[in-house]
Amino acid sequence: MGKQEAEGGCGVVGLACNVPLEGKYLLQSLVQMRNRGNGKGGGIAAVGLVPEQLGVSEKILEQDYILQVAYLDKSVRKQLEDEHIRPFFVVDYEARVDAVDDYRTIPGLEVEPPEVYRYFVRIKGDVLEEFVRKNNLERLKESEVEDEFLYQNSYRLNQQYYSSLGKKKAFVVSHGKNMVVLKLVGYGDDVVKYYRIEDFKAHVWIGHHRYPTKGRVWHPGGAHPFVGLHEALVHNGDFANYHSIMEYLAQRNIHPLFLTDTEVSVLLFDLLSRVYKYPLEYLIEALAPTTERDFEMLPAEKKRIYRLIQSTHIHGSPDGPWFFIVARNDVEKNAWQLLGITDTSMLRPQVFAVQEGPIKIGIIASERQAINAVLGKLQEDQRIPGRFADSYWNARGGSFTDGGAFLFTVKDGGDGKVLECADKFGKVIDLPKQDWLPNSGSSVSLNASIAIQLQKGPKAQDPLGFYDYVRPALRDAGFQYVGEILEELKRLAMKGQESGQFAIKTLSVLYDRIYDTGNKKRSSLLQLYREALNDVFSSISMSNSDLYTRLDWKNRSRLVHPLGSQVLVVDALEFPAEGDESAARFVVDAHTQGWKNILLYNLRGHRFIGSGLGPRTNGLKIDCYGDVGDYVASGIDGCEITVHGAAQDQAAQILKYGKLVVHGDVGQAFMYAAKGGDVYVLGNAAGRPLINAVGRPRVVINGTCLDYLAESFMAGDPYNGGGFVVVNGLKPSFDGRYVEQEYPYPGSNLFSLASGGAIFIRDPYRKVSSEQLNGGRLADFTMKDWELILPFLQENEKLFGISVKTDLLTVQETQLDPRQVYRKIEPITLQELA
Amino acid sequence: MGNLELIVEKHSERIHHGLEVLPNLRHGLPEGLGNKRWTAELILATYEMALTGDLPKNGLEYKTGNSGGGFDVLGWKNNGSAKVESDKIDLSIELNKRDDGKKITIPLPIYGGGMSFGSISLNFMLARARAAKRLNTFMSTGEGGYPDDIVPYRDHVITQVATGMFGVREETIQYAPIVEFKYAQGAKPGLGGHLLADKVTSEVAKMRESSMFTSLYSPFPFHSVYSVEDHKKHVDWIKTVNPRALVSVKVSTPTDVDMVAIGSYHAGANIIHIDGGYGGTGAAPEIAKKNIAMPVEYAIPKVHDYLMSEGVRDEIVLIASGGIRTADDIAKAIALGADGCVVATAEAIAVGCTHCGNCERGRGCQVGITTTDPELSRFIEPEWGETRIVNLFTAWSKRLRSILAGFGLENVRDLRGRRDLLVRYK
Repeated sequence: MGKQEAEGGCGVVGLACNVPLEGKYLLQSLVQMRNRGNGKGGGIAAVGLVPEQLGVSEKILEQDYILQVAYLDKSVRKQLEDEHIRPFFVVDYEARVDAVDDYRTIPGLEVEPPEVYRYFVRIKGDVLEEFVRKNNLERLKESEVEDEFLYQNSYRLNQQYYSSLGKKKAFVVSHGKNMVVLKLVGYGDDVVKYYRIEDFKAHVWIGHHRYPTKGRVWHPGGAHPFVGLHEALVHNGDFANYHSIMEYLAQRNIHPLFLTDTEVSVLLFDLLSRVYKYPLEYLIEALAPTTERDFEMLPAEKKRIYRLIQSTHIHGSPDGPWFFIVARNDVEKNAWQLLGITDTSMLRPQVFAVQEGPIKIGIIASERQAINAVLGKLQEDQRIPGRFADSYWNARGGSFTDGGAFLFTVKDGGDGKVLECADKFGKVIDLPKQDWLPNSGSSVSLNASIAIQLQKGPKAQDPLGFYDYVRPALRDAGFQYVGEILEELKRLAMKGQESGQFAIKTLSVLYDRIYDTGNKKRSSLLQLYREALNDVFSSISMSNSDLYTRLDWKNRSRLVHPLGSQVLVVDALEFPAEGDESAARFVVDAHTQGWKNILLYNLRGHRFIGSGLGPRTNGLKIDCYGDVGDYVASGIDGCEITVHGAAQDQAAQILKYGKLVVHGDVGQAFMYAAKGGDVYVLGNAAGRPLINAVGRPRVVINGTCLDYLAESFMAGDPYNGGGFVVVNGLKPSFDGRYVEQEYPYPGSNLFSLASGGAIFIRDPYRKVSSEQLNGGRLADFTMKDWELILPFLQENEKLFGISVKTDLLTVQETQLDPRQVYRKIEPITLQELA
Repeated sequence: MGNLELIVEKHSERIHHGLEVLPNLRHGLPEGLGNKRWTAELILATYEMALTGDLPKNGLEYKTGNSGGGFDVLGWKNNGSAKVESDKIDLSIELNKRDDGKKITIPLPIYGGGMSFGSISLNFMLARARAAKRLNTFMSTGEGGYPDDIVPYRDHVITQVATGMFGVREETIQYAPIVEFKYAQGAKPGLGGHLLADKVTSEVAKMRESSMFTSLYSPFPFHSVYSVEDHKKHVDWIKTVNPRALVSVKVSTPTDVDMVAIGSYHAGANIIHIDGGYGGTGAAPEIAKKNIAMPVEYAIPKVHDYLMSEGVRDEIVLIASGGIRTADDIAKAIALGADGCVVATAEAIAVGCTHCGNCERGRGCQVGITTTDPELSRFIEPEWGETRIVNLFTAWSKRLRSILAGFGLENVRDLRGRRDLLVRYK
């Protein structure tokens, strides 16, 4: 049987919360990821529902299966019910799923979505007895038998009404307990609108855009999510071994009907969880095996079990790029779960995040900007204090460190539901107990000493001096006090050009830097800074002759050449994320007009910022505020880009020359095939940074990387103008210090097949081992090396406040010689490369 | 004149002389020349056409090889006397069939494929660029950078963006009327690109900004593209850098090449370029050549039919390459469903390649084509090479016209998909 639907990539988002949230919170993130789908398939899943909204009692919601049937041909409903529902089930409640009257009122919907009926069903006693007797299932628990019966019944229904002879008249969209799935031919956000689930509440949600490429007539049956039994799965990627997995399933008498690799994935999941009853850890191991050095790093007992799992299931392990998000009802434990699993090689984008406040929410998405879009909407509605998560991270696929998967579980706590986050190994991710921003602050006049400080020199002209001055206050004082400082800075911004510049620079330092925030959550402070910055930016008037002038989408045609060293402030909000009229092209236009200082704010995933400027752009400075999208700074040649916050995937691809500063993490394939540039990253890089880089890139990564750092690095002789990467392996602690990560570099592949350049890694405990190298060599770090990297570390100190002396060279409170702290990895001449 | 100049002059003179006299067969077919696909006769016929700009008059076989398969077992059903006047026949094809973007028409259904600076000499690259300009068609940079010397020909130069992105800079993307994404090469799909250490001279290393005399590998995938939405983003990136560029997507021919083609279409490609398993490259491992990718004669109809059934065939240009040796091969590829063809090896033969297959070593090429040796690479003067390539394509155009005339077709575009005109021998 061939795969009938060509899968491409997709845009995915999932969230889990200790209180039920409305479907509308998925909307903005899905809208902002539309460029990851093509409008040929969208879907949502919701788990952990609210009985009143469904018209049933709590008991029914807990006990019954929610059988949802999508009718593509409305006329078959009666017949289908008589054949597949009424004879076997007690239907406690049934209803048509609400939808808008005319699908054409939703722009872009071309295919009428299916009419969905929802049946709350229990299996009739005699039916179940007969089923047990016929199939000799006496050994099974009653709930297991019920699951199996329901599953088989849905399979027969799908076979008859969907897959056989290309009928496609009706199919089961979902049938698990306390979960529903809806999908159509369109975008994921169309589902929310069409089925009117903006106000429908659930504890766990996933949303998906699909990008299928085959077939002129796309079908809602092919859209994600796909269901097993009590789980729904969305998938971004494509398997290379689809046929092998089909064989694996066929050997276990499982025959997919919808012919996409996503259906196959969820069937695998169902097989491993429901039939083999694997605990989640082993299930994940069967899907994404731990390999290479990561396997060797496992404890002996785990190795033994994993080895057995791998030898049994390797043929069923999806090979290739994939990322799964699963929403699941763990019926037995009465818990609802959101799970993200990445493939062993981490070939698809993935970001995890968690925020704890009045509610606790965990989010998984293809892009960080989509996470912030969900949080942003919740913040706007005053459900949460801010649009920033307390923590963002990537999973390291098939690894001994986190297992490449994270799980958010909503379960009963002492007082209502709680949300817990854990990795594959069950290690719980805890957040420190800190205060979050109260929803409404009262404004009080500013503390006199700060006001005086702000109004007089010389610190008034020195943002860093001011920052140093207020640091103790930022630690010890409450949110209100910080709010007062910000109010004063906003007032200053109005006062004139110079004080305006001071205000923007000071706010940026507060926003960018890591420092001790005391009992206050940094994510809450970021919200305050962001609001203040946006207030300042938005108050800049359009097309004037001041130092700062502003334009937005509506006024973009008013772009003219600058007066002197003016700064162009661009409100990027309504610019498209890509294309001829994108924010990136507007930057190119502005540069062509002669602008040398461009500041973008309200970015929300805008791609390619800095691309298209062409060669020799020395002297141009671009500042990005908000959520910058993929490919930022790609191809720049001379200019300087500062990302206030994190960057996403493919940043700085083929970067030629210039400077890039990222006050946060960077995503996948960072600096792929870069030729040069001085680049400073405050946080981590995800997978594959600096692959195939040549020339003279000089890079400082203060965090670490997931894996494959500087594979095929060809950047010449570092002492003679070639390139290198410094990895500091640090992370900010919640109290604003830089602390060592558990491993300065956890991956199995470091500097593989490199033929030039060098890696300098801060590794005072000598944790990096030669097993991580494939073609490189650990060499003595000499004072010559120190002289080479010191200027870059000093610049790093200036940019991020990471002190060479006290943060980098100090180990366990003792300052060491650089040679005791850093290690060097250099290329060796490989047979393969000679 | 210094010694070096004298040596170069002597060798060039002898090579040029050989290329002129060998095709007249006064000494018979040279032993050891060619192989079953590129037979000695085909090579000599190509030399002759490159010299005269006309089809061989002495009975040299110039239409097919002797491989026992592929285009060599396809013939024309009825290729009788001309039913249309030859000069009325239009050989031009459009390279952008979409509604938006710049329209580019080339006067013959052929352009030059990617051969990188480093894999070939600068002089041969220049010869190709000059020929492309004179013929008003294109050649592709391959993946090795964009030497300054070819910038004057930029309106006829396709910038290739391949997986190593060697030498790809914003200006090289901005020069290009067409940007070609090379996802894979038919000769070695899934194996990336190789340039062995011997050829990585200081000049080559400088262009690619790598280390001298160290082998260069392009990864087998684009590390920024693991799925179709990544590809769309990749295309959007190139269009941000150069909004006017047409986009060509070059892929090899796996069994699901039709899926790849439709995916490329949906991501906005103007050209889908399928490179079959017979493609030439000196650096591909023997085991890969002809053994991984599907032969292009299978892939063309598969893709053509699929694009037809999806209703998008007339919005995308299908270009075939990988073992296109003759005008007959081109016509057959078109009859199978392609719009046109890309050739590279044939251009090398035009300037004296003997298809010996020793391309991977820096000094290996005795006629100065696939070399970076400063002495050998001077055997090909750009003007001379230009003339030879122009002559070859001129002769091919004559043959194409005669095929079309035999079927009464006035336009090469009417030949597309006319499998009914083909017959299979044996």
